[in-house]
Amino acid sequence: MADERKDHLWKVQEADERMEDLVGTANPVGLDVGTSKVVSARKKGKGVDTTMELNAFIPVPYSRFTENILGQNDISYYREGDELIIYGTATERFANMFNTDIRRPMADGVLNPREKEAMGVLEAIIQGLLPRAKTQGEILAFSVPAMDGKSSELTYHEGTLRRYFESLGYKAVAINEGLAVIFSELEDENFTGIGISCGGGMCNVALAFLSIPSIMFSITKGGDTIDQSAGAVLNEHAFRVKVLKEEGLDLSKSPKDKFEKALHIYYEDLVQTLVDALRRNLSRAEKLPKSDRALTIVLSGGTAKPKGFKDLFERTLKARSLPIDISGVRMASDPQTATARGALIAAMYEK
Amino acid sequence: MTSRPPASDADGGGELERAIGSVSQSITDPVAKLRYLRRSLADGQAADRHVRAVPSVQLRRMLYRILSVAGLRHTIDLRSLGYAGRTEATSGRMLFLSRIAVAAAALCVGVGLVAVAYKTARPAARPVEASVPKPRSQSPAVAVAEPGPELPRTPGLAPSAVWLVENGAGFEQYSNGLRIDTSFAVPGPPRRYRVFEAGGGFGEAVYAEPAGILFHTTESDVWPLEASFNENLRDSSHRLLRYVSRNRLYHYLIDRFGRVYRVVEEGSKANHAGHSVWAADGRTYLNLNNAFFGVAFETRWDGGRALPITQAQLASGRTLTEYLRQRYGIAPDMCVTHGLTSVNPRTHRIGHHLDWARGFPFEAFGLPDQYRRTTPSVGAFGFGYDEEFLRVLDEPWPGVRAAEQDLAREAASRGTTVDQVRRERQDLYDRWLAEQVQDDEAERAGATTAARSGRTTTSGG
Repeated sequence: MADERKDHLWKVQEADERMEDLVGTANPVGLDVGTSKVVSARKKGKGVDTTMELNAFIPVPYSRFTENILGQNDISYYREGDELIIYGTATERFANMFNTDIRRPMADGVLNPREKEAMGVLEAIIQGLLPRAKTQGEILAFSVPAMDGKSSELTYHEGTLRRYFESLGYKAVAINEGLAVIFSELEDENFTGIGISCGGGMCNVALAFLSIPSIMFSITKGGDTIDQSAGAVLNEHAFRVKVLKEEGLDLSKSPKDKFEKALHIYYEDLVQTLVDALRRNLSRAEKLPKSDRALTIVLSGGTAKPKGFKDLFERTLKARSLPIDISGVRMASDPQTATARGALIAAMYEK
Repeated sequence: MTSRPPASDADGGGELERAIGSVSQSITDPVAKLRYLRRSLADGQAADRHVRAVPSVQLRRMLYRILSVAGLRHTIDLRSLGYAGRTEATSGRMLFLSRIAVAAAALCVGVGLVAVAYKTARPAARPVEASVPKPRSQSPAVAVAEPGPELPRTPGLAPSAVWLVENGAGFEQYSNGLRIDTSFAVPGPPRRYRVFEAGGGFGEAVYAEPAGILFHTTESDVWPLEASFNENLRDSSHRLLRYVSRNRLYHYLIDRFGRVYRVVEEGSKANHAGHSVWAADGRTYLNLNNAFFGVAFETRWDGGRALPITQAQLASGRTLTEYLRQRYGIAPDMCVTHGLTSVNPRTHRIGHHLDWARGFPFEAFGLPDQYRRTTPSVGAFGFGYDEEFLRVLDEPWPGVRAAEQDLAREAASRGTTVDQVRRERQDLYDRWLAEQVQDDEAERAGATTAARSGRTTTSGG
């Protein structure tokens, strides 16, 4: 007599998941296709489930022995002619082992024209994160960068990805990366403010008023630029610099060694370039939305993760005069997944 | 951080933002908020041009408020996600135009068909049914079925009784305005329950007629009640209906537009109440799935500080309650909310579910204020509550306080502690619950079929 399906329905954590399973509704997906990482976001109950994969690969010569080793160690790879293409998270380990740099299927936010394996690798990485659509026409929103003066490259990049997603059964819509950050982080501000995504290949910026984008631009500097520049002056592989950077770089403290000194210098350069570009784009905007409230800036992306990045950005911002009021700068709740979560909101909006 | 002076109200910028902000502030779902903002912007674009020409700031504000519009100084593309494929706009326009053409043609055909169908196939009215009073022995609660307070008066004539005016494929229409959509109705296990009589323990009589009504909230998605969300509102209700019907969760569901759906047939049990306790007139009911109708409002309770249902839901809830009470002779004291009855038997705490633990408009339903009635689970069975309960409600409803005072008086009169009294009463609950569970299991196993058939009170009395 005490049957109470409701106990397991509305008022428990798993309720929404069960609901989704039971009614079999389509599950929209948000995908951040970044130069450095690919991140997927799906709704799971009341929350959002995110998964990420390194967007990198390294080819090694084919041999049956190597293939067996890769298979036994559960390493993602596929065979292409006389090479084995190792991709995803394991890439860094192998780059270290072979003392070489990792390679990227994407560069400067779009498919890397210098890599013939670009789309093949990207497809393999996406397949690992994204199952085929359960029902034809499920909505998938994927991030694309703002491309100042490079619209043909963006058109090719967006079109190639869209076709691939459609082959998996999705209806794909593209969303600007900066706007996605606004969607995920500025809900309380009615999606009004500035979203900045500092990724591996570039930094994307969007200013939106009540969710409508007014300004979108990008700079082709990002985490990879920092790694490569620091690596070049230190005579080190970029991926090793990246490892050092991710091991706990603190931009609020004085650098301890030459590595940190180089990273500080290139981080400062990146932030200066970013703030200058922000000021330039705001100044030349013909029709800025008018608001009596100052705008919030949200910083996201893996490159914004080091401690002290926000303070560095704020310091640089204070030294320049912007044509709009800024109420404050804050970090995204989870900088690495902000774009994917925003894309998910866009997908749900499109549903 | 920089020194530009804020935009003045004279340009309307602040007014727009405030108008939009004040409306969208109440929307907690980011997707709903996004849809609201973007559609408001589109709808308001034309109106905004005129509103901005109004010289009075106060009047402008009022207009913005009324319209909930926001104007932009530049053309907006509602589909804009910062990047859009170039071929979509044209095909989208063509699709839109073709849809309009198809819709117009379908409308013409539809109107003609409906007119013909109505003349030729109007369902015949069936005679009085709901108004026929049932014998009082059908359910234990009928014995205490006092008339209760009158329904608060609304202007206009009211029928002398509730009767079935007509029914047809998928609907029933009643004389008090109640219209029940029956297209989702499913049968469930036949209703069967026993009650605990005052001083006598688990009664022998087995009942098949409902004794009470338990009001719920569905705690499902709630979309803004605005025309631009019509699709979301309809989709949400339909998904909910399919789910509650498949799982036989309530007898009735009232959607946001006040439409009343029968989910589980009235003669069946629904899985709506779980572990729950209610008592009236010396009879105690444990686990109310069988004895009570489950009536759910499609909404989120959200603490009950504001009435979480629409005017249409309130009106339909009243007519449905009136119909059920009249048809089954349900006493006003037996109409209560899930939050007031829900318990956790393991922890001996009340408020396992809290829907309508505050804020149900009993008076508007012509019912006594059950929040003031001594709470049976506390008074009779010594249940307590925890921090989470207080976090939601701040303080228990008055009936809990009244029950606690009873426990304190009992403890004082016996020279023992309140905790001791609570423990004894919790033990009593555990024993009674075990008896009931045993009876349920025996019923399921079919062991008592023969004996039960002799005891069950059927609708014939």
